[in-house]
Formats: sequence, structure tokens, C-alpha cells
Amino acid sequence: MGESLAALIRPLALALWGAVLLVSTLTGRLELLLRGVFHPLVGLSGVVLLAIALQQALQGRHERRWNRSWALSGVLAIAVLLLPPNPSFSDLASNRNSDLGSEVELDFLLPPGQRSLTDWVRLLRSQPDPQLYDGDPVRISGFVLTQPDGPPQLGRLLVRCCLADATPIGLPVRWPKGFTAQADQWLAIEGRMGVENEAGQQRSVVLPERIRAIPRPARPLEP
Amino acid sequence: MVLPAPLLELSVPALSVSARLVTAWAVFQGLLLEALPFLLLGVSIAALARWLAPGGRWLQRLPRHPLLGPLTGAALGFALPACECGNVPVARRLLAGGAPLGCALGFLFAAPVLNPIVLASTWAAFPDQPWLLAARPLAALLLALALSALLQQWPEGQLLEPALLEERRLSQPLAEVGLLERRSGLVGAIGAKVQPVKVARPPLQEVLQHGSREFLDLAALLVLGCAIAATVQTLLPRSWLLAVGGAPTLSVLSLMLLAVVVSVCSSVDAFLALGFAAQITPGALLAFLVLGPVVDLKLLGLFGVVLKPRAIALTAAGASVVVLLIGQWVNLWLL
Repeated sequence: MGESLAALIRPLALALWGAVLLVSTLTGRLELLLRGVFHPLVGLSGVVLLAIALQQALQGRHERRWNRSWALSGVLAIAVLLLPPNPSFSDLASNRNSDLGSEVELDFLLPPGQRSLTDWVRLLRSQPDPQLYDGDPVRISGFVLTQPDGPPQLGRLLVRCCLADATPIGLPVRWPKGFTAQADQWLAIEGRMGVENEAGQQRSVVLPERIRAIPRPARPLEP
Repeated sequence: MVLPAPLLELSVPALSVSARLVTAWAVFQGLLLEALPFLLLGVSIAALARWLAPGGRWLQRLPRHPLLGPLTGAALGFALPACECGNVPVARRLLAGGAPLGCALGFLFAAPVLNPIVLASTWAAFPDQPWLLAARPLAALLLALALSALLQQWPEGQLLEPALLEERRLSQPLAEVGLLERRSGLVGAIGAKVQPVKVARPPLQEVLQHGSREFLDLAALLVLGCAIAATVQTLLPRSWLLAVGGAPTLSVLSLMLLAVVVSVCSSVDAFLALGFAAQITPGALLAFLVLGPVVDLKLLGLFGVVLKPRAIALTAAGASVVVLLIGQWVNLWLL
């Protein structure tokens, strides 16, 4: 048994990594990990690895010695298959800068009621005068993003490549009295944009009229 | 008792640590799934390059000029795009075929970065940092020129691995190498033409087998690298990262050390750098991306098929100094 497993370790390890890539693509797991533009490449690589594994298994030239590092990587591939990712977005955000990079320029502007949380944050960075948006309707969703110095905001994670470079963005919310926003909880908020004074400066704040708890969306990361 | 800030951050509740482990697992998966396709692409092209790697007299006609030679070798990276693991055997084949030393060294040191796959993965990882897309190949080219110039101060016999040197002597013209050095024919005999060593093209089956082995070896290293990156990014206190990553010299040195230890292939190292990019200086980021393809623990073994231990030590020392200088200069420029 040991010898036959050693002989097949190479095609087996290749097949396991191929399965990881393909299963992650087909089950939508990648939506939680990578930017959408890379998904076809991951799926295609999975198919190629599975094809090579099959070809190598049928070829008959097997390994004579047990390769520990291949075996360990195969075990890890099984672990990746069995344990899907379930990151705490709030935790990820707490370790990152909220930096949108270069100056934000908007190509077009959606009507207020159709703007996502990301659209609102980009708009407020490009044109930060709060009076421009006072009273505008707001329909947004996001996760509760805890702040080190202040009440939690409603946030989203922007991803340019994969979860490792996720950048948090958030909108201040005036939470109703008695409502406790729990970190990581996903909420849909309907209401209006208002203006508040923060440290002597005016800023836009979401004034909720209706707050609903929602499950984490299928595509929680935004480009 | 008042604890210093980092210790305070370590004393987080158990629940938070387990939540962070779950997050680290997700970051690990993100890095790994992003990098594996690029690794497969790099290994496939390296295998193809090895299969197609042409021998023959054109190698001996490559420029011998101390600057043009390494530049031509570096440019070959675009024709034979492979990461550092794939290009060592190709560089060996160039040297065995009689290519000028400077040209082969230029290829060995610059091609792991100056190739389309590596540039594409760097762009994929850092689309918002166009300076990096220009600085990485430029710094790699500068490093390759410096290392080629340094190593060419010594005669080939003191640099190249003995078996390779013997193969190389057979491919070099008689005007450049004597019969004693070549160790073939009779001294004084006339007209004994020695044919260059012909390297047979391996069967495709063998190339696939070799390529799949290489992929699994490198995937194991990639797994380790992703685990380190995810752990550092998620579990280490941010204040530690900021303290080390924000210091101009310390950050460059730390990331150089990390590049040497992690030993990840150049076609995917940009994704690992992504894990630290927010906390480190730009010079440190560039140092990680430039030093890793030339000096790392895995390469120390691989270089043994081309260079003697002394030449490997010279390469490691020279590369470390040049990369430290480049990192410092970039920090002066961008910070």
C-alpha cells in the first residue's frame, strides 16, 4: 500500500491541487478571495493540472521514492478543499490602512438611491462638500466596521488582486438609540444622507430609517 | 502594571485569536489560489524553453562586449521567459554551448524578472503602483550588470562548475581555449576538429514529467511562503509591522532577509509582497522583488550546477549590497 501510494504521489498531488483550483472556481469560493478578473485563469489552471495528473497516472512512469514535501502539500490541498475560507472582514480591516490610493475620479454618477456604499465613499472623496448630499436618499449594504476611536461604520472591502490587499472603506452612520451594531454583521440600510459636526468639521453621515440584517452577499468584495 | 503597546496587543482574548486564525486561513487561501496559476504558467514555459532551448553556433556569436553581452543575455529573458528555477538549466545550456560568459550571466541574473510572465504577475498584484512595473525590471537589469561585471573579474576556471567548464571548453573555438584546457586531442596534432557537444532534445514525455515534478517542488515552497505572508499580515501586531516596515533601512534589510528565506519563485513573489505592501517602505518592497530572484536559499542549491561555491558567495554578497543601495535610493526618492 505504502509503495503504491509512493508511486502515485505525483499524479495524486497534481490532481488534488487541480481539484482545489477547479472546485474553488465552481463553488463560488473565489468570490470571497480574489478579484473576478482572475477567476477564469484559476479555473483553467485547475483543468490543466487535472489533465496533466491523468496523463501522468496513465503514463506508468511512477516515482520510486516517497516524497514528503509533495505528500504534505497534498494533505494541505485536502485541508483547503475541506475547510472553506470564512474571514472576519472587520478583523481584516483592523490591520489595514483605509487608503484608496491615487486621487479618486468618477467617470459617471448614479442617482443617489442607486449608489452602492463604494459609490458613496468614492463620491465623498472626490467631492467632499457634505451640503451637496444633505437629504439624498441612501440604500446601501455592508458589514459593521468597528473603529478604534468612535462608533462603528458601515464598511466594504475593496480588492485589487486578492484578499491580502483588501482595503477597507466605510461610511459614518448615526445608529438609532438602543441598536447595537455587532462587528462583522452584514446590514442593509435605507435612509437619508445628513450632515454632522465631527471635531469641528462638517461631514456626511447616513441617517438610517430602516436597518435589516442580511446574510453575507455572494460577492462581498468590490473592485 | 503598564505593558508596552505590542504586548498589550498580544494579550487579546482567546476568541479573537481563533477568529484571527480563521482570517489568516482565508488570506492564505487567497494568496495561494492567486499564485498557483502563475506558477503553473511559469513552470510550463520553463519546461517548454528547456525543450526548445537551441544549441549551436549562434550561441558563440552572441556579443562579448562587457556591457552589450549582459544586456543581450538579459533580453533573452523575453524569448525564454522562465522564473529563476527554470532559467538555471537554460543558462547552463547557454554556457555549455559556448555562449560568452557575460551574456550567460546577464541571462542568469536578469531573465527571472525581465520576462513577460513576471511582469504580468507584478502588474496583476500592483495595478495601482505603475512605478513598480518600471522600477522592478530596471533594478533587476542594474543588478545583473553589476553582478556580471563583478564575476568577470575572475577567470572562467575559478567561476564555473568543473563539469560545466569541461563541456564548455569543447564548444569554444580553438582560438580561445588550448588543447590542454580542452583536455581532448593530441598536443601538436593538426586539424583534429572537435565538434561542439550536441545536446539531444528530450522527449516531450520526459519534459512533462520533469515539469510536473518542478511544479510540485515549487508549490510546496509557495505554500510555505503564503503561510508566512498570511501569518505576518494577520497575526502579528500592526504596531510591530509599522515599526519595522516604516524604518527606511531596517525595512529594506528585513524584506531582503525574508526574500532569501521564503525562496518563492519570481513569477509569484509579487503576490506575497502584496501581503506586506501596506506596512513597508517602497524601497523594501522593491528590494524583496529584486533580490529574491537572484539570491535565496533554494537558489543556493540550484546555482551549484553552474557556479563554484566561491562564485555563489560573491553573487550573494554583491547582490545584497547592490539591492540594499537600490532600496535606500528608492526610499530617498519616494518617502
